[in-house]
Amino acid sequence: MKDMKDFELIVTVVDFGLGSKVIKTARESGISGGTIFLGTGTVDNRLLEILSLDHVRKEIAIMVTESSVAYEALDKLNEKFHFDKPNHGIAFIIPVSEVYGTRDSVSETIIKKDRGDENTMYKAIFTIVDRGKGENVMDAAKSAGAKGGTIINARGSGIHETEILFSMPIEPEKEVVMILAKNEIVDNISSAIREELKIDEPGMGIMFVLDVNKTYGLNE
Amino acid sequence: MNIIKEKFKEGLSVVLPIAVLVLVLNFTIIPLEKALLIRFILGVILMLLGLPIFLLGVDIGVTQIGNLTGHTLARSNKFLFILLAGIIMGFIISLAEPGLHVLSGQVDFVSAGQISRTSILLTTALGIGILLAIAALRIVYNIALDKLLFILYGIIFILAIFASSEFLAISFDAAAATTGAMTVPFFLAIAAGIAAMKKDTQAAERDSFGLVGVTATGAVLAVLIMSILGKSSIDVAELEYTLPHTDSIIGPFIVQIPLVLKDVFLSILPILAIFLVFQKISFHLEKKAFRAILKGLIYTLIGLILLLVGVNAGFLDVGSIVGYELASMDNAPLLLIIGFIIGFLTILAEPSVHVLTHQIEDITSGSVRRVLVLAALTIGVGLSISLSMLRIIIPKIQFWHYIIPGYLLVLILTRFTPKLFVGIAFDAGTVASGLMATTFILSFAQGAAGAVEGANVLVDAFGIVAMVTLVPLLTVQVLGLIFKMKSRERSLEKYEGYEGL
Repeated sequence: MKDMKDFELIVTVVDFGLGSKVIKTARESGISGGTIFLGTGTVDNRLLEILSLDHVRKEIAIMVTESSVAYEALDKLNEKFHFDKPNHGIAFIIPVSEVYGTRDSVSETIIKKDRGDENTMYKAIFTIVDRGKGENVMDAAKSAGAKGGTIINARGSGIHETEILFSMPIEPEKEVVMILAKNEIVDNISSAIREELKIDEPGMGIMFVLDVNKTYGLNE
Repeated sequence: MNIIKEKFKEGLSVVLPIAVLVLVLNFTIIPLEKALLIRFILGVILMLLGLPIFLLGVDIGVTQIGNLTGHTLARSNKFLFILLAGIIMGFIISLAEPGLHVLSGQVDFVSAGQISRTSILLTTALGIGILLAIAALRIVYNIALDKLLFILYGIIFILAIFASSEFLAISFDAAAATTGAMTVPFFLAIAAGIAAMKKDTQAAERDSFGLVGVTATGAVLAVLIMSILGKSSIDVAELEYTLPHTDSIIGPFIVQIPLVLKDVFLSILPILAIFLVFQKISFHLEKKAFRAILKGLIYTLIGLILLLVGVNAGFLDVGSIVGYELASMDNAPLLLIIGFIIGFLTILAEPSVHVLTHQIEDITSGSVRRVLVLAALTIGVGLSISLSMLRIIIPKIQFWHYIIPGYLLVLILTRFTPKLFVGIAFDAGTVASGLMATTFILSFAQGAAGAVEGANVLVDAFGIVAMVTLVPLLTVQVLGLIFKMKSRERSLEKYEGYEGL
């Protein structure tokens, strides 16, 4: 039996163009690599909303690493990118229960399961809906007290959804909406989204909530 | 305010270099009149205001409509629907393109009325419409882009043998003229909209580009066919070149405003019409999204008006005077070097180029950085201006000496370049010959040709836009080749990267 190791998923949402820099900085703290994808973030500003300019291009960088490295790396990232200042992006850590394929996790490594008992103040709500409906998810969440969120373009299909148009196989386009919220209002937000988007009916999308261990950059 | 700041910064980085160049020239070798200089500075300020607003508008308005239209076309799953909708849309959008009106007027003039304004307008628009439909069908039927381009340019070459040299130049200019500030973002977004639905991510990436390039050949083909069928030749009218001169500072701006207003409204109306029709029959957008797109169109409108007034009243005269003075100096290397720098900098100031490079970054998830594409484009256009200046100084060099071997090389390169870059290159070529090229560079070339004995202002000026289209095709493809070799080198390293997730 080897050591019990905890793994964490670091998620950062930063302005477009900074994703690679985040991973570069993280590497200096011993993280072996990461994945970047594009998203759209919202700005909480009434004037910009009226002008329909409340959307910003964002990059999301995710990295899996050991707990011992993760917290230190996140501190370093915060020093460099100042998540704690308004409009400098956010960063948080999601506990991971199983990991394969990284350099640090040899097959014998046993990861402690049943986590999430750490005292967390926040949760991350992920909602996957058809393209174009991400906006509605965001509106529903905001009406229930959420401050903002990130929309990620994605593609995917349920069991009945792949079809062929002309000679191209089509996968329906989706939007993934990621919203961070305090524990107290998570239930409100999720029920607002469920109600508004009719998530419980088949084919209307899915939603799940993850525990978050540590956050930077959420301004209350 | 994040996003406004970002766009404003972009506008600054676009307009400032060329403003600095003109000022440097002013204080060194080409002193400008005071009134002209003040007008130029006013023009720069208008552009600085207009460009960010225009780009914002394209982001939230025109691009969205294009994307949705692409979806609707593909969703229809009907061959006939794409064919008809493509032809109709291409036709009305190019009819509304201001650049095409200017060009057809010029052709009417140089052919001494043999080819009427209306006939060239209608044929070009029809050509664009048919090719837009074909380009859209290519994406849904998975036909390889390089094969289609090979066929299209093959036909162009054969037609080119029968057409006169002047018409060859005009046909390429017609292509450049129809792909303007409004059509480019719209066409680009249609392609992205269709391609984004594909299951195969790499195919989606590749197929997002190339639509503009394919569509533009419609104009070339239409003009060539018409000139051959009509057996028309051009009596090269020797034009007396007169340098623009006015002492008024505000005057030119006031003259420009109504003209620009008409042009801009004309080019935005068809897109609005398409949006409203499709909203009724297919998009069914939520209220909020619907309003955002309308606001986007309004921003585009305001931005474009500011931009065009600034360019037409502030930039044009300066361009031709700089060209004239430079060519009068009888210093060939200087003309070539400044030509290169001007080409380089005006492309930075081209609004459609920024739309394209953003699209590229979005669609490739940032793996093809826009700085690289921008570098390939600017160097390419710089070279093409230098080459064109050489042609003006040495009358023996004919237009087809450049264009035929150039396009042959382009077609050979398509066999080796990664498919994604073939599409990007052909789009980039047409995009480069947009607003700034057809205004500032054209007037610079006209000025230069006016100063050189034996050069014909009209004929020599016609070819320069076509050159601006050609050279980026080469440089972007070369960029693609480099990219291919680099990624092969890196593939081992990349593997390790995946290991870390």
